[in-house]
Amino acid sequence: MKPNFAGTTSGDFVGADVLPLNDLSHNGQRQFVVIDDKVMLRGSQSASSASKAFPQREVCLETGSRDMEEMLFGPFGTLYSFAAVHVSGTRPTPYTIGYVDFENGVRVLGQLEGPETSFHCDQAVELRADGDRWFFVPAPAAQARKSV
Amino acid sequence: MSNAYIVSAAMIPMGKHRDSSYSGLAVPAILSAMKSAGVSARDIQAVVCGHAFGGMLTGQRIVKEVGIGSVPVTNIDNACSGGATALHQAYKDIQAGRHDIVLVIGVDKLTQFGGGTLPLVTEDPEVQQGMVMPALYAMRARRYLHERGATPADLAEVSVKARRHGALNPYAQFRKEVSVEEVLASRQIASPLTLLQCCPTGDGAAAVIVASEAGRKRLGLPAVRISASILHSGQVTAGFRNMLSPEITYDSAADAYEEAGIGPQDVDVIELHDAFTIAELVYYEALGLCAPGESLDLLRAGKTTYGGDVVVNPSGGLLSKGHPVGASGVAQAVEMYWHLTGTAGARQVPNAKVGLSHVTGGGISGLDHGACTVHLYERVSS
Repeated sequence: MKPNFAGTTSGDFVGADVLPLNDLSHNGQRQFVVIDDKVMLRGSQSASSASKAFPQREVCLETGSRDMEEMLFGPFGTLYSFAAVHVSGTRPTPYTIGYVDFENGVRVLGQLEGPETSFHCDQAVELRADGDRWFFVPAPAAQARKSV
Repeated sequence: MSNAYIVSAAMIPMGKHRDSSYSGLAVPAILSAMKSAGVSARDIQAVVCGHAFGGMLTGQRIVKEVGIGSVPVTNIDNACSGGATALHQAYKDIQAGRHDIVLVIGVDKLTQFGGGTLPLVTEDPEVQQGMVMPALYAMRARRYLHERGATPADLAEVSVKARRHGALNPYAQFRKEVSVEEVLASRQIASPLTLLQCCPTGDGAAAVIVASEAGRKRLGLPAVRISASILHSGQVTAGFRNMLSPEITYDSAADAYEEAGIGPQDVDVIELHDAFTIAELVYYEALGLCAPGESLDLLRAGKTTYGGDVVVNPSGGLLSKGHPVGASGVAQAVEMYWHLTGTAGARQVPNAKVGLSHVTGGGISGLDHGACTVHLYERVSS
């Protein structure tokens, strides 16, 4: 008799859930949307566990559930820390990257635009975009929230 | 379950060895360790080779050059923890009674990349944003300065200590002492970290022979008992992470102390993962040498150098000795063997009985690090 348990594997057929994740297809897509002149990042949230993540993903980081739905967030966040990088074999230097903490609990590594001296830990930053690129710039202090 | 002992240890001086292949780097360390132990190729029952950038079959490419064959040769990549993970694997095999004599190799050749930062895996989304290892540590450093009231000069003191220790180590890549001013005046790599706060690009290899109780007795050699061997991966989060409190090292260290039945106050000598100055301060706390928030006081009071509570990085650490990534975990074990057998020379930590080595591995998004290994070692009275 043919086993027919939901979720079990067999050598008899290829289920939809054993096809590879096309996670590199996100690379060609914009990681943000612009709504009312505000730049919002496109992350994912699990319908069952409510875990959140950026960039977009198909599997919940906490439970393995494959029920991630699009989650938009931004444009304001708080700069946790940052570094100006002066050595690179692959991109022009110096460039500045930093970890930005958002209200929804997600931390995002992104480029910071502007002089390094215009940034400090725990300051408010805002998402901006130029073409397909997104990045952070300093924002009014009122937008800051406390990091961990 | 058998105890596991290091019965022989050797390494090559670290440096830029552009004319040496992976086997060219590793063979002298292996032959030296085998000669010192009085074992021949036929006595080696298994080989574990840790590396990050050696390519396919690195271990086999090396050991065939010295006639070791027809035994299990396992290659291990765990980024900077590759060598220490190889030691962990040997420890587990000895414990399980699979073998009596295992050769552990750590090797890497970073000059093959022509300089610059370590090439990370470009599939990673943070790497796509420009993450490099110096930037990760620079962000830790920036946060440390912000939260702890530390200054860049405090960070530089870590390099000053490392170089002072390394000046006495003939195996170190850098053997010249430096001043705080020189460290701060060196060029920016990833601010606030300057060049002299970053481990150098270099090549190296180290080898240890690990034996079971029976193997040790048969060989009749001075030995160091591995009293704990812990390997952890990181735990992912897409959320906030306290970069001054890396859970992967806290957890690995706690497990190691528990396994050995000792505490941080019992340790005499430590080799920890000071890939960048900030790392040493963060790891003082993670390894339990002081309470969270007190690492700066520990360094400033001289508690982590000769004459203090515990000597941290007597070899000069990664900052001075060098950091050919996959080699480092085994090189740390070599340093421990020398100190705990009283053969470390001018840099000998007096009467060292208990040692600890710690190495993390890799920069990937969502984790502190991809791997962390903590080993504890105890002197054995013969």
